[in-house]
Parts: sequence; structure tokens; C-alpha cells
Amino acid sequence: MKPARLTTSIFAALTALTMIAATAVRADESKEQRQLFREGARLWPVYCSQCHQARPGGQFSPEQWNAIMMHMRTQSEMPAKDARAILEYLKASR
Amino acid sequence: MSSKAMRWTVGVIGVVLIAASMPRAAYADDRVSSQTLKQILQELNDLKAERARADKKIDDLEQKIETIQGQNQKLQEANQQLKSDTSQKIETLQTQVSTSTSRSAFEGFFGEHQFVAAGGGAITYLYDHKSNINTFGAEFEPLFLYRLNDWILFQGVIDAAFPSGSGASFDVPVATAQIFLNDYVELNAGLFDLPFGDFDEDQSVFWANRFVTNPLPYAGNGLLPPGDLGIQLRGGVQWGQLGQDVDYTAYAANGPLYDTSLPAPVVGQFFNGPNNIATSTHGKAYGGRVRVYPLPLDWDWGRLELGASTYDGKWQNALWLTSWGVDFNYRADTFEARGEYLGTHRQMPNGAAADNRQGWYIQGGYYLTKLHPSFLSPAIRDQLAKMELLVRYSGLNQRAVVASEIPTEPGSLGEDASPSLFAPHPREVALGLDYWIAPSIVWKLEYDMELPRAGGSLVTFDASGTPVFKAIGATPNDKAILTQLSIGF
Repeated sequence: MKPARLTTSIFAALTALTMIAATAVRADESKEQRQLFREGARLWPVYCSQCHQARPGGQFSPEQWNAIMMHMRTQSEMPAKDARAILEYLKASR
Repeated sequence: MSSKAMRWTVGVIGVVLIAASMPRAAYADDRVSSQTLKQILQELNDLKAERARADKKIDDLEQKIETIQGQNQKLQEANQQLKSDTSQKIETLQTQVSTSTSRSAFEGFFGEHQFVAAGGGAITYLYDHKSNINTFGAEFEPLFLYRLNDWILFQGVIDAAFPSGSGASFDVPVATAQIFLNDYVELNAGLFDLPFGDFDEDQSVFWANRFVTNPLPYAGNGLLPPGDLGIQLRGGVQWGQLGQDVDYTAYAANGPLYDTSLPAPVVGQFFNGPNNIATSTHGKAYGGRVRVYPLPLDWDWGRLELGASTYDGKWQNALWLTSWGVDFNYRADTFEARGEYLGTHRQMPNGAAADNRQGWYIQGGYYLTKLHPSFLSPAIRDQLAKMELLVRYSGLNQRAVVASEIPTEPGSLGEDASPSLFAPHPREVALGLDYWIAPSIVWKLEYDMELPRAGGSLVTFDASGTPVFKAIGATPNDKAILTQLSIGF
């Protein structure tokens, strides 16, 4: 194989690997978010309705939910990871 | 002679004649023609010179145009370069700003701060049979949240009520800074609802409380103060499967303060609200609460909470108030129940008998969501699905009441509608029907039966301020009807 073709092949392979790695990272993030969403969807009706009726995500903007869920984490003293899951669900289900 | 020869002869003769006549005419005008020729030559020379000048001018102009075009080209190139340089500099500046330390520090500290106004409001109508009270009430309780970043939150509640016979009254029941130190510890500082049991913190909001009124232990301030001023550490963690959690709250605060308008402390007197002066006690109050959630979500058995609380502090020098309570809360599908039992023990001055009080409530609710009686029309069934049936039994043993503390008018929302509540041993059965218009909008209907138990003292003070205890018997039963529209926003 000629040196020029070898260099081109290596460059193409590296580019492909980089793209695959980037896609894998996004997939991991997306997978993690989907997992949070699913867990939030399970926790939301149970945890919220322990004190009051569970309010749907559409009632507030994502930014408002950020503040409200901090307040609710204090009120309910739910585990932080569960608060994050419910927040993800509320923001994504708008 | 032929005709052809004849014509040729005539032609030759003509030419000769013409030739003979011409020299005579040229000679006649010889001087004039020379001048004309000179003039023509002069004009021709002038024209040539003029053309030469014009050609030069054209050359000059063409040169100028070329020069200008060259300059224009250079200007365009310079302009393009300037634009390119400017864009690059702007991009560089934007990059520098977005990655600069100062901006990172700013966002790290202040974050994407967010101000949120939430809260609730309620309009009540109540009728009390015994006191013949028939009135409307209103209360507006906005909750303000200011989120600095994902670990600092400020929270404030303003309570605007309309008591009978006066204009609006205002209070600030909650004002705290909440700092989330990590996933397991949160620091709260400021004025907070008392984290004792489940009611004051989680159920006192209009649209969260299923009833219009509060249960007896929380209807007045007989057992505990509604809040305190201090600091808390709190948090929660999952200890088993998903849903199996435990949470804790530990706090130090200014401590209890009783009704200071009385000449002397007596059994049965009420608490004052939270205060910022602890000099009367020379000490702080300390409290804690632990709640456990034993049921995993996967079991689908609902959500059960079991809690225990304590609140202890000096209410006078060397005189302690100690309190404890247990509570539960259960929700499964369309059924919910909650209840608390709490007791307080207060040391009294001058060796007097201790001030012991107990209170409790238990309530249940059932949503008619899944009832679909076939004999009813779909429209009625849809309305039925929004309803919840409720029942609550609550009681209080305070053993004495202070005559001057018994309100003669209900609270702004009728939470202490009946004078029978202010008996040494009040008991109450409350029946309710809630109609859920939306998850945070509810129209409530409540019927209260006051069934006070006999026995106890009515406390008055003589002219010298000495308490006078008078035994009182059974307080006549009473009943009240209340309805309320509550909105959470």
C-alpha cells in the first residue's frame, strides 16, 4: 500500500472511531435520561400524592420546576436521586 | 461615315472645346483659391491639434479611472479584511467571555437564578349553629421561591387573611434559606413550620388539606407552636429497594413562648407564634423527626410513612417543655389515611402540677374515581369520579382553658369555627366531600360535629393577677357547616 493511501485510511478510520465514540456518549446520556424519566414516571404519582394531588408537568415551565422541585425535596425529604428523576419526568412530560 | 464614327468625332470635338475653355476660369480665381486652401489647411491643423488634446484628455481620464478602480479594489479588499478581522475578534471575545473565569465564577455562585411565585388562596363560607355565625372568609398565601443555583434556594410565604371585623392582616409564617450541601444533607436557616409530625409542614396548605378545618391538635396553638426560628439539618436516603426511604430532621431554634398577655402562666394557656427573642428562656429548643417508608414500590402495596418526632426546650429558666409524637400516613390507589398522636409535658413554676396535654387525629379518604354505577348517566359518572369522601376524628386533652384566650369569632377560614373547640377536652367528628376540579383546585364541603367531653377548668384572673380555677362541666354539643374553594397556583 502506498504511504498516501495508508495515511488516508488511518485518517478515515480515526474519524469513524471518533464519530462512533461521540454517538455512544450521546446514547449513554440519552439512556440515562430515559432511565431517569421512567423512574420519575413511577415515583411522581406515589411521592407527590402522599401529601397532595400530583400536579402535571405542563403546569410550570422547566425553569420553574427546577425551583419548585428544590422546594418539594425539602418538604418531602425525598432522596435526592428520586427528586432528580421526578424533575426529569415533569420537565420532559410537558 | 458610319454612325459610330460620327459619335466618336463629336465626342472628341466636345472634349477639345471644354479643355480650351478651362484654363481661362482657373486663372480668374487663382488668388481666392489659394486663400481658401490655406484656411482649410489651418482648420485641418486646428482639428488635428484639438483631436490630439482630446486624445490626451481621454488617456488622462482612462488613467484616472484605472487609478480609481485600483483604489476601489484596494478599499474593497481592506473592507473585506476588516469585516473578517472584526468577526474573528467578536468570536474570540465571545469565546473568552463564555469561558472566562469571572463568568464561570458568577454562574457557579449565582447560577441561572429563577424567581417563582406559587402558593394558594381560599374562599370559605361557614355556618356555626351554636354561635349563630354565618360568614365568608378569605385567605391568600403566596409562596415565593428564589433559586440561586442548584444548591441554594430562598423561600418565603406571606399569609394575608381577612379576620372578622377588620381589614387584611399579614403574617410571614415561613422565611428560609435552603442550602443543599450534598445529596444527603440540607441546611435550612430561618423561620420554618415546625417539623413535628406531618400536619404543619405538609398538610396545612389549603389545597393539600382535605378538610377546611385543621384537626383539633392543630386548630389552636395548644400543643405546640406552629413554627420556630432557627436552623435545621435534614435529608433523606433510600435504604432498600426503590420506595424504601428514611428521612431525618434535626434542628435548634429559639424555643417555645406562651401567651405573654396573661398575668401568670397557667395550665391550658396557648403558645404564642414564633419569636425572635430567646432571652426569657436563656436556652434554645431542640427537636428532631425521623420518618421511615417501609414498602417498596415494586410490591404495589401503596406508600406508607411511619414517623416519630420530638420538640424540647425551656419555656422559662429551668422549666422545660418536652414533646413527642408519632404519626402515620398511607396512600394506596383510591384510599388514603393519616393520623398522629402527640403529647407535651410542661414544668410549671412554684412547684405547681405539670401541664400535660395530648392530642390526636385520624382521618380517611376514598376517591370515587373507580366507581362507575351503570344506572347513572356517563355525565354524572364523570362528575362522581372527581369526588372524594372523607371522615376525621380528632381530640385534645388540655384540661383547662383560659377564658380570655377563647376566641369569640372564627378564624379567617373558619378553622376554629366552633367555641366547643375551646373546651378542656374537645372532641370533633368531621365529615367531608371534596370535588377535585383540577389537581390543585378543590371545592370542599365539611360538616363538623363538636362532641366535647366533660371535666376540666376555666381559668380567669382576679384583680391582683392571681389565677382562679373554676370547674366546668360538659360543653353543649355544636355543629358547623363549612364550604371552601381552594386554589393552588
